Amino acid sequence: MLGDAFASLMTVATLFNVAWATLLGIVIGALPGLTATMGVALMTTLTYRMEPDAAIQILICIYVGAIYGGSRSAILLNIPGTPASACSTLDGYPLARRGEAGRAMGISTSGSWLGTLVGTSMVALLTPTLGEMALSFGSYEFFWIAVFGIVIAGTLSGGDPLKGYIAGFLGLFVSTIGQETNHAYARYAFGDPNLAGGISLLPALVGAFGVAEVLQVMRGPRMEPVTSTLDSVIPRLEDVTRHWRTILRSGLIGTFVGALPGLGEDIAAWTSYAAARRASKEKELYGRGSVEGLMSAETGESACVPGAIIPVLTLAVPGSAPAAVLLAAMMIHGLNPGPMLIVTAPHFIYRVVAMLVLADMAKLLFGLFLVRPLLWILLVPRERLMPVVFVLCCVGAYAIASRQFDMGVMLVFGLIGFVLRDLKFPVAPLILGLVLGDLLDKNLLRGLTLTAGDVTPFFTRPVSAVLCAITFGSVLLSVPGLRARAARLLAR
Amino acid sequence: MADESAASHVTPPPKARTDLITAAVLLAFAAAAFAGAWAMPTFTDRGGDPFTAPGIVPGFHAVIIGVLSLVLGVRAVLRGALRADGGPPPEWRRVEGASNLRLALAAALGVGLVFGLIGRVPFWIAAAVFVASFTILFEWPITPREQRLRRIAEGIALGLVTGVVVTLVFERLFLVRLP
Repeated sequence: MLGDAFASLMTVATLFNVAWATLLGIVIGALPGLTATMGVALMTTLTYRMEPDAAIQILICIYVGAIYGGSRSAILLNIPGTPASACSTLDGYPLARRGEAGRAMGISTSGSWLGTLVGTSMVALLTPTLGEMALSFGSYEFFWIAVFGIVIAGTLSGGDPLKGYIAGFLGLFVSTIGQETNHAYARYAFGDPNLAGGISLLPALVGAFGVAEVLQVMRGPRMEPVTSTLDSVIPRLEDVTRHWRTILRSGLIGTFVGALPGLGEDIAAWTSYAAARRASKEKELYGRGSVEGLMSAETGESACVPGAIIPVLTLAVPGSAPAAVLLAAMMIHGLNPGPMLIVTAPHFIYRVVAMLVLADMAKLLFGLFLVRPLLWILLVPRERLMPVVFVLCCVGAYAIASRQFDMGVMLVFGLIGFVLRDLKFPVAPLILGLVLGDLLDKNLLRGLTLTAGDVTPFFTRPVSAVLCAITFGSVLLSVPGLRARAARLLAR
Repeated sequence: MADESAASHVTPPPKARTDLITAAVLLAFAAAAFAGAWAMPTFTDRGGDPFTAPGIVPGFHAVIIGVLSLVLGVRAVLRGALRADGGPPPEWRRVEGASNLRLALAAALGVGLVFGLIGRVPFWIAAAVFVASFTILFEWPITPREQRLRRIAEGIALGLVTGVVVTLVFERLFLVRLP
């Protein structure tokens, strides 16, 4: 099936789409103020009239390219182009400052390429098995998957789990606005037909990740690149062979973190970096231009991209913010991701694997041969870039449903996202709540209806019980006193 | 999916008192949301299953938001929110060059585009006016006096190019409807 998938994608039109979309993704990722989420969201609106395969291929290329592109500005500006590359600034920028910017980019290219390759292999190996497992899930399990996603995203995404949980449940609450499915009752619509139609995911995403970012960038200081000249960007074989263990470990960690609902590339990079540092014989070099440190961060974040697609395909639950948009795009194109995908369209899973490999190869080629033109893009002043970004946000919010109301939603979510970030509430759980709201709503009510209000099966079915235990365990471990006590117990 | 902004490091963490005020606002929001959920019909009078009542799920979320807000409020008080100085100053390092004036101007221009221009004039004109005014206003203070005329011309050109290119690409190439 994998061979068929590759064969079906080997057309001139597909390869052309792969080339321009991956390049555009790299540019989007390289520019501070444009994130992978925003890029995928904007391209969803541009591609929704295309054939499903072509549209999903383009979105995957944008996603893969943007996560990689973020390291350009992380290395040269000390400002991550996307949040996923924040970890790469720790060792990438010191390397650039001592005149090894080209080498740092070579490490980033090889690490990112290998990371995506490891993650993609895991998609091919694990997705069919997980998909078959998910077929046995019922309402009770899906309810817990939604709550688990919010709790995990809240625990790990912003430093303050309590604020993460609040943001997540606010997202779940916002998702209830509009007509519900059982009685077509318009919740919290106050007689407004637009509100009765509900809050669409894409305008909210474009607002929270696009408009809020424009506001953040315009408030912040100007950034200047550390260098405009480069040494060789061709990756050194020694940098790869010497750190193969780090690459493999980071690839697996990145994929695992990606497969957990709602975490994403930044957590994958930080986790991989921390693991590499723990295992390293050169701990003192970390943060001062360590090749191993940069390699681990880049491999981890890029392995997370395919990892984040695994729950999209098997459970219809996103592993990251851009994957949430990808999930929405698959739904828009009628691909119905989730447990039934393995039954209705098993070939699509292998097609996604082939799409990821093509995007990864294009990323490698552009990373090796188009570094200097990409450097010039970083020199575009924010005063000229941000208004164009804002105009694109408006188009992105409007285009799918052609509702002026959606631009208002975008603006409101932009301001909410900005204020929440200022108050140190993570925005990702809010958006994840919006994505998972429908899943929770339907499955909670279905579960209660099936048992006439008896909540026992939510806690006693095996998978439900495990998910419930992990969810409550995560909440309890986020309480500082309890966490310290648990760490002491484990140390004994 | 953690810290979504590459530029978010320019702001300090909030004081304990700010967290207390946030908790109070969230608690009021949760109470209002719960009252709204409680007031929703159950449709049992029409033979509907009571466990499909529209208010159950939003009510559940409102209760959890309320409880979490209470915890946030209590934590803020324990961290000194009621002290005269609003709690200890957080440890942070402000990056030089951040400006709330620029923030307000960007937000005002964005609101002006969405609610003032789009829908009233053709999209390409709205985009051109927005991009030109944004560029000119933000570049004005950082441009030497003798170069200002040139920057204005560049801003207008950028606006026109953006308006025309975005309209052509989206409407003609990708067949997307514009506002």
